[in-house]
Amino acid sequence: MANSQRRITKELAEVTSDPPAGVTVSLANESNVHEWNIMMDGPPGTPYAGGKFKLLLVLPTDYPFKAPTLNFKTKIWHPNVTFDEKGSMCLGMLKGDVWKPSSKIMSILTAAQQLLVEPNPDDAVEASIAQKFKEDKAGFIKEAQEYTKKYAN
Amino acid sequence: MPPPNTPGGSPPDLSPLHITVPPNTPFNHGSPRSRRTRTARNPYSIDENKVYEIGPSDGVDLRCLKYVSEVDENLLCPICHAALVDPVTTPCDHTYCEDCIYTAWKSNPTCPVDRSPLILPGDVATPPKIVLNQLDALKVKCPCCGDTLPRSMLRNHLSRYCSNALVKCPDEVCEKLVKRKDEGKGCLHYDSECPDCKEHLQEIDMESHREVECENREGICQHCSETIIRCKEAEHLKSCPEVMTSCKWTKYGCQHGALRKELDAHANECRFSTVGQMAEMLQAEISTLRDQLHTLNEKDKAQERRIKFLETHPHFNFSDVSSQSVSRLPDSSPTAEFPESRDQYLLSLLESQESKVDQLSVGLTELEAKQTMMLFNETIPIKEQLAELRSAQGVIGMHVRWLMNFRMQERRPGPGAGGSSESGGPGGDGHRRLSDTMRDVITKL
Repeated sequence: MANSQRRITKELAEVTSDPPAGVTVSLANESNVHEWNIMMDGPPGTPYAGGKFKLLLVLPTDYPFKAPTLNFKTKIWHPNVTFDEKGSMCLGMLKGDVWKPSSKIMSILTAAQQLLVEPNPDDAVEASIAQKFKEDKAGFIKEAQEYTKKYAN
Repeated sequence: MPPPNTPGGSPPDLSPLHITVPPNTPFNHGSPRSRRTRTARNPYSIDENKVYEIGPSDGVDLRCLKYVSEVDENLLCPICHAALVDPVTTPCDHTYCEDCIYTAWKSNPTCPVDRSPLILPGDVATPPKIVLNQLDALKVKCPCCGDTLPRSMLRNHLSRYCSNALVKCPDEVCEKLVKRKDEGKGCLHYDSECPDCKEHLQEIDMESHREVECENREGICQHCSETIIRCKEAEHLKSCPEVMTSCKWTKYGCQHGALRKELDAHANECRFSTVGQMAEMLQAEISTLRDQLHTLNEKDKAQERRIKFLETHPHFNFSDVSSQSVSRLPDSSPTAEFPESRDQYLLSLLESQESKVDQLSVGLTELEAKQTMMLFNETIPIKEQLAELRSAQGVIGMHVRWLMNFRMQERRPGPGAGGSSESGGPGGDGHRRLSDTMRDVITKL
């Protein structure tokens, strides 16, 4: 759909010219506007600070009517991201029934950053990490920092 | 109660404003059409299988346009992030492009901004006129010629005026398209050979090929050895500094010929320059004098005719002729010598009046044409509004009918035979009374 591509190009121009702090965006493949590579710096003041995380944003062909998907390509130890090769992320606004065609990619990126600042243990995909986050904050921070050093450098 | 006007029914008479627009004119293009298709759909059901078209059906996709300045954020559709095209407003007061909201609604029947439930097409309405006017006034670049014009004019511009827009080939048999500016050149869809690179291509593409694409398009001017485009050689020769040209005073006798770049030096010392300038001045003078002479001659002739006329008819009654020119005639001593000149004068009068009438009628036709254009331009928005009103009326009609049906169904399984006879009596009376009053009204009319 031409309309979908037009909107994506417009949003890409917006995000590349004025990205959220600590985020850079590029196309995974210059000829395909539906896959975006995103480099996100770990937000300062969090155990992920200093790490560089690579994410892949995939926009469906019927974007903006269907929600995009956002996956961590860099392993991250976080209650709301699966700790595997997929790096599936549980982001509220990207769920099928919550997604609104009026949402912008810019707001997805800030929401993802916000999730790193404030994990949401009640809606976790990694139960063990969520438990640690709830019960042993200091241990969680330490472990997350270690994994950040290990994978996100 | 009069039957509600159904959307599919015959449109009401628009007599004072109704102008029939012939098919394939720019006046029946554009947004009114898309609105009409919307109202034709049944407001209570939406065809799940129908594919709602993306983009307009008449070839101009307003979303692809280049806007001259940044479009105000409030005029952008939240779905396609482009300036609204055929906007509609939801009951929760959000405005979208018609196509966008239909597509979004098919995957999720709620408002894409606040997720309040939405029923299409019954729930959406046309946004206020001020929004439509703002959208219409957005300045866009014509995709064909690059001219800047208001968005609402674009379709008209493309279908009528744009010199680069594609129109049907003037040849009746040929079915291809040509640019409007080439329309007068006849059918250009035949094979031809580029004189520079010997490539075979259609004549219609030759101009752009020779100017831009052809590998051998550039040649060297044989006079100034500058690189030029071959097909523009003739134009170049007119200004090439190395071409032999004759002095500009040639017609006054200067025999000098030199390269164009050296002519300036010659011009200062040309012996004919004084004569030439003088001659030019004199010529200008002569031509003004000639003009004056001509007008004087005309005046003289007219005066002569008048004198002749007055000489012949000393007792002519001026009040018989209601022409100003006659009443302004000077008194002159009458002598009855030319009995036939009266007819002549009258004939000449008649002629001059006729020519005046001709001028007036030409002026009238011009005014009429202008008036018609203005009328057309003013009628388009009115027609649009009418179509909207008609659709709104249709929707209300449907609502009323539905409510009536609902009421009737509610009443039908009511009380038994006794009850019905009771209610039937006064009902019948009421009916009779109503028809009586109707008859009164009719007789009064």
